[in-house]
Amino acid sequence: MKLLSRRIWGEEKMLNIKNLCAFYGSIQALYDIDIEVQEGTIVCLIGANGAGKTSLLKSISGMVQHSGTIEWNGEDITNYNSVQIARRGIMHVPEGRHVFPGLTVEENLEVGTINWRGFFGKRRDADELTYVYDMFPRLKERRKQLSWSLSGGEQQMLAIGRALMGRPKILLLDEPSMGLAPLVIEELFEKIVAINKKGTPILMVEQNASMALEISDYAYVINQGSIEISGAAKDVACDDRVINAYLGVHAGQC
Amino acid sequence: MNIGLYLQLLVIGLSMGMIYAILAMGIVLLVRAVGVLNFAQGELFMLGAYVCYALTVQLHMPIYVMLIVALLIFVLFGTLFMFAVYWPLRNSKWPATIIISTLGASVVLKEVVKLIWGSVPVVQPPIIKGVLVLWGNVRIEYQYLFIIGIGSLLITAVFLLFDKLFLGRAMQAAAQDSYAAQLLGIPTIVTTALTYIISASLVGVGGWLVSPLFLVSTSLGSFLLKGFAGMVIGGLGDVKGAVIGSLLVGVIESFATLFTATYKDAVVFSVLIIVLIVRPTGFFGQKISEKV
Ligand SMILES: Nc1ncnc2c1ncn2[C@@H]1O[C@H](COP(=O)(O)OP(=O)(O)O)[C@@H](O)[C@H]1O
Ligand SMILES: [Mg+2]
Repeated sequence: MKLLSRRIWGEEKMLNIKNLCAFYGSIQALYDIDIEVQEGTIVCLIGANGAGKTSLLKSISGMVQHSGTIEWNGEDITNYNSVQIARRGIMHVPEGRHVFPGLTVEENLEVGTINWRGFFGKRRDADELTYVYDMFPRLKERRKQLSWSLSGGEQQMLAIGRALMGRPKILLLDEPSMGLAPLVIEELFEKIVAINKKGTPILMVEQNASMALEISDYAYVINQGSIEISGAAKDVACDDRVINAYLGVHAGQC
Repeated sequence: MNIGLYLQLLVIGLSMGMIYAILAMGIVLLVRAVGVLNFAQGELFMLGAYVCYALTVQLHMPIYVMLIVALLIFVLFGTLFMFAVYWPLRNSKWPATIIISTLGASVVLKEVVKLIWGSVPVVQPPIIKGVLVLWGNVRIEYQYLFIIGIGSLLITAVFLLFDKLFLGRAMQAAAQDSYAAQLLGIPTIVTTALTYIISASLVGVGGWLVSPLFLVSTSLGSFLLKGFAGMVIGGLGDVKGAVIGSLLVGVIESFATLFTATYKDAVVFSVLIIVLIVRPTGFFGQKISEKV
């Protein structure tokens, strides 16, 4: 009953995107995308290479030219720049990790506090640091190490940890599993679920569709810049088109 | 008595090395922050000398007032330079565009200086007058010691900024990965502008320091070559390496005059070539391997 009323009133929508189009100069990458993320959920966005997944996240974080409306807790943030977006706790962990190679692990994490600390604020990140190190003990072991020397999985954890330092109200994860070994991916997805359990909603882009659908509440399938299929993750996982195009032998039981 | 001569040469070499280090540091900071060699750095250096000449000799300002006004002017130069030469082209698909624009800026600056001050070199009196005499016969001009002092101060200040201040850390981050920095909420326009301001102020002060030793003329811009040499010997992209390499260049050049005064530049650049052959990445070359 409670669930029903939520659905009807849509009162828990945090992120609400309508008619989003994105452009790289004259090239249009997204066409009239509608997406929403509700409080506390994991939403995944699956699609082939070049479908527009990254462009969607970049539009939210103000890194690509776009039109339409993007609402954040009722506030119209469509035309905000990346600094204003980050200040609202919308933390985008980019595809390919992008850790700061010449900074140590701990320095990378410290830089993650810039959105609430500013250039000259006092360092008050002990709680955040404890949270990140509890979540990723490996980062604590390597905290004095320059981050280029980390393994791919560790770099991904650092990139997520760095975003956690920014007191995220939502995490946008772009292909966190890219290029990682299956065991590492499994560990990473457990951490993502754990972070979500602590209350942070997550919008995740993945090519690893089966695992992403498994941990998600809601899913969107994007193809050539448009949303093709959307629904509860377990329904999407059973959609024939999704099984054929994205899951194949990895399809679960329906 | 030879010890005295060597001491003299060492002091002169170190002081010139400080000047090259200031130039090289300015270039390296920009290379790291925006990925572009700034060929107008030498002209900003020359402009620094002219600005200080104008404030001291033409406007008769006392040194403290002069320094404050000059610094404000350098800050303005750095900002203007960034918004005129770099910012409009930052998204250009062809990286050489910005390099060419810095070359253009160097020509423009040289011509503007000629328009204002003419092409006849002008003379800047020493900032600190007098000579230190050791053991009765070793004479070292205070100006050289002054350069070493101020140079060390500036270099230390830059290291402290990047090592100790959160602002410096954020600037480093933005320099290493501007995209990630923006996603975290670092205003990269501010960090980039600050880098230009620091770079322009460094070389501006460098121009002031060196101006009493040479005639103030547009050929001061050619000092940039020695800064480049120091930077390459130290290892491209590393600030510490650039400083050490530049000091080395200064000392080598100074001691080269023992054998030949005319060809001291040739000696410096021969060393540069040898270093490049033996260690193509310089002495402190890229510790950060380029991971894609
Ligand atoms: N910087 C860019 N310049 C021009 N076109 C781009 C750029 N980035 C992406 N695109 C185009 O936008 C489309 C979507 O790309 P992207 O969002 O990166 O896809 P995905 O993340 O799903 O692989 C692709 O057709 C791609 O060619
Ligand atoms: Mg992508």
